[in-house]
Amino acid sequence: MAAMRYVRILCAAFLCGCAGAESRGGNTGGTLAMSTGGDPDVLVPSLLQTTTAAQVVDLVYDRLADIGDSLNVVGDRGFTPRLADRWTWAKDSMSIAFHLNPNAKWHDGQPVRSNDVRFTIASTKDSTLGSPAASVITNIDSVSTPDSATAVFWFHARSPQQFYDAVYQLPIMPEHVWTGIAPAGWRGSEAAKHPIGSGQYRFVRWIPRAAVELAADTANYRGAPKLSRVIWSIAPDFTSALTRFLTGETDLFPQLRPENLREVAKHPELKTQSYRGLAYVFAQFNLRDPADHERPHPIFGNRDLRRALTMATDRAALVRSVYDTLALPALGPTLRVYPTTDPNLRQIPFDLPRARAILDSLGWRVTTADSMRTRNGRPLRFTMSVPKSSQVRVQLAVLLQEQFRRAGVKMDVEQLDFPVLAEKDRKRTIDATIGQWNTQPSPGAVRGSWGTEGSRSANGNNFGSYESPVFDAYIDSALASFDQAHRKRYFTAAYETIIQDAPAIWLAEPKQVIGYHSRLQLAPLRSDAFWIHIPDWSIPRDKRIARDSVPAAPAPAQSAGQKAP
Amino acid sequence: MLRYIARRLAQAAVIVAIVATITFALIHLAPGDPFSAVLDNPNVSESVRQTLRAQYGLDRPLPEQYIRYVGALAHGELGWSFSHDRPVLEVLGSALPNTLLLMVVALFGGFALGILLALIQVSRRGSIVDRVIGGITLLFFSMPDFWLAILALLGLTYWLPIFPVAGAVDPVMHEYMGFAGRLFDRLKHLALPALTLTLLASATVARYQRAALLDVLPADYIRTARLKGLTEREILRRHALRNALLPIITLIGLSFPALLTGAFFIERIFAWPGMGYAVVNAIGTRDYPLVVGGVIIGSIMVTVGSLIADLLYAWADPRLRGH
Repeated sequence: MAAMRYVRILCAAFLCGCAGAESRGGNTGGTLAMSTGGDPDVLVPSLLQTTTAAQVVDLVYDRLADIGDSLNVVGDRGFTPRLADRWTWAKDSMSIAFHLNPNAKWHDGQPVRSNDVRFTIASTKDSTLGSPAASVITNIDSVSTPDSATAVFWFHARSPQQFYDAVYQLPIMPEHVWTGIAPAGWRGSEAAKHPIGSGQYRFVRWIPRAAVELAADTANYRGAPKLSRVIWSIAPDFTSALTRFLTGETDLFPQLRPENLREVAKHPELKTQSYRGLAYVFAQFNLRDPADHERPHPIFGNRDLRRALTMATDRAALVRSVYDTLALPALGPTLRVYPTTDPNLRQIPFDLPRARAILDSLGWRVTTADSMRTRNGRPLRFTMSVPKSSQVRVQLAVLLQEQFRRAGVKMDVEQLDFPVLAEKDRKRTIDATIGQWNTQPSPGAVRGSWGTEGSRSANGNNFGSYESPVFDAYIDSALASFDQAHRKRYFTAAYETIIQDAPAIWLAEPKQVIGYHSRLQLAPLRSDAFWIHIPDWSIPRDKRIARDSVPAAPAPAQSAGQKAP
Repeated sequence: MLRYIARRLAQAAVIVAIVATITFALIHLAPGDPFSAVLDNPNVSESVRQTLRAQYGLDRPLPEQYIRYVGALAHGELGWSFSHDRPVLEVLGSALPNTLLLMVVALFGGFALGILLALIQVSRRGSIVDRVIGGITLLFFSMPDFWLAILALLGLTYWLPIFPVAGAVDPVMHEYMGFAGRLFDRLKHLALPALTLTLLASATVARYQRAALLDVLPADYIRTARLKGLTEREILRRHALRNALLPIITLIGLSFPALLTGAFFIERIFAWPGMGYAVVNAIGTRDYPLVVGGVIIGSIMVTVGSLIADLLYAWADPRLRGH
């Protein structure tokens, strides 16, 4: 009986879906089920850290304007209207007035007002919230609201990236939902578990350790999205998540590894698509002595030795072995996708005989029976720490170990839990580590990860303590430059400075590969967020299956009570 | 008897307190903290991490954190989960029924299958059937639980797509099914993790039960039964099995920790939303309260399980009732 009821619901839903699709005359309807490895950490735009949370939030919330697929961050070129349908620059460029789309509404029916914009920025800057985004909007002084449809951003200084800072970092949050909750209690609040946004998808439910579901906001001011539902199906084990995709339980698997591609190719109904991500991988040396940070590292304190180690590394072979064709050797602390990156940056070449000669000249000579180098009785030996959760980084370390061995350098590989490695990084007690920075469309993050400020500040992320006034000056000049050609020239000089100083071996710039069912029709995948165009993805009606015909669930009632930790 | 139970419960409380204290100390002394794991984002500054640590009281000295934790525990609170942003009791409260379901199914299934296999082996002892079953049970007995889980996952969901891959229900369709559909969906998702845990448990039980049966077969009362003209099958079922079940009751108590730890890894592989799934993730993210809370609940389950086994043993063996 119940099974019959289920069939009836499906039939009715199918008919409704057909009628809806016909009435809109478009290719709407269908469910996208996506395999993911973990729950979102928190569904608050200013607090989230995980990719799953970013995916959900980017579809539920809207920004004032969206960065274009070219990822230009200078001025407003390429940005497209979202909540703001237009904007006006002040003559002195110290402020930008955003004019809100009068049709924009929150998913609870309230209109989007300029107060919401002011509230979003003010709350993110509130130190009691502890927002990771606070450090990237420091140039924004405040937001004023001359009327309910205009939000004016005021800046501390003119900057080429001030428009990007204002619109990219934060989706706008509804003041009326959050205003009664103390910032310190946001993470645990009910409002964080039932987000109300203004995006083309509205939140339906989050079953921890099982699924997150969104449904199309058919009355959205930007129009209804093509897919009716988006569901993240959570499985923490990689094999389980992949198997879900291979067996058709899900339509999309965004974390394919090179070794999975052959298996995917056995299924004619499955496809893959690669795109350039925003991450680079490197082997970083600690330039300070782990036991006494005032002294240089006994091995890596020497620039020539670091250059010799770089010369001893066949990066092309390393990348080919680990990533096959899914990565390129990294150019430096940058990405090819940045318009400011010169793909012909001058590199330290792979030259093993020359590396050996440099090490000899530095007094590190092969004296032991196992062909390892020593100097004054001290072996040329160090430890490379890697997170054991990253198969790729472990593989890179093992291959690097073999390449260094050929140069007479003994490298031990230490596999650590990620929190343990993070703690050692923070305290600067590592010798060397294979790290990865996941960056943003702006190349400016390089200042914190490789600049002097990031090395000396207790809050800094320059864990290898590389310091170069020349590099800092070039980066500062590049970031302050409004002219794209000048900007590129300064960045090139900065990158070439750091490449020649070799505080790290720049290993790989991985491509990202998503696997998807051929019934899905994708839109272009953007480097910083492949999911951003999901509202434009579709499933043709002749390729739909049972799950595509399920009606979207009604939005749950909002309760914004506070539960503080 | 009541005094005995009270004494055992008091002992159990002391054991749980000691285990909780050791776990609290170990997890806090392990390098890293819940907020150092956000390191892959170069925009997250140390000051933000410090703010987060302060919000959750992690900037206080460890003894102070411990005293606060014990104080909260005395009020029946297990703290606040950093990774779930919910009270630990709520997280474990929603996960515990799933773990118990898995364990109970595996316990009954494992013991029933194990005893059946042992009976078949003993009734055909020395034959090829005995040796094949012995080999198979030895294989499962020595196989790591996570390995068997991965094999079952690939074998019965991918190569032979009989069962769903993971989860407790179909996340896409479950909400839209009728009662029977939901029940079937739940059973279908339970089958594979339960089968894996059952196979692991039954291998242990079969080996113990076979040895116990072989121990009682030379006894005088078995010889008497044979002289009375009973068939070998009746002898096994009526006399040998009943007497050989006593050591198996002890095994029930011993199985609880094994089932619980087995469930922990199996839950992760099959994304079964139980305690193991929650706690194993919590160890990786250094979610201290959730780890300690999980260990407390786990140790309560184990100590209560062994108490029940002891009581069952006393009930089953008249010689022990007086003690």
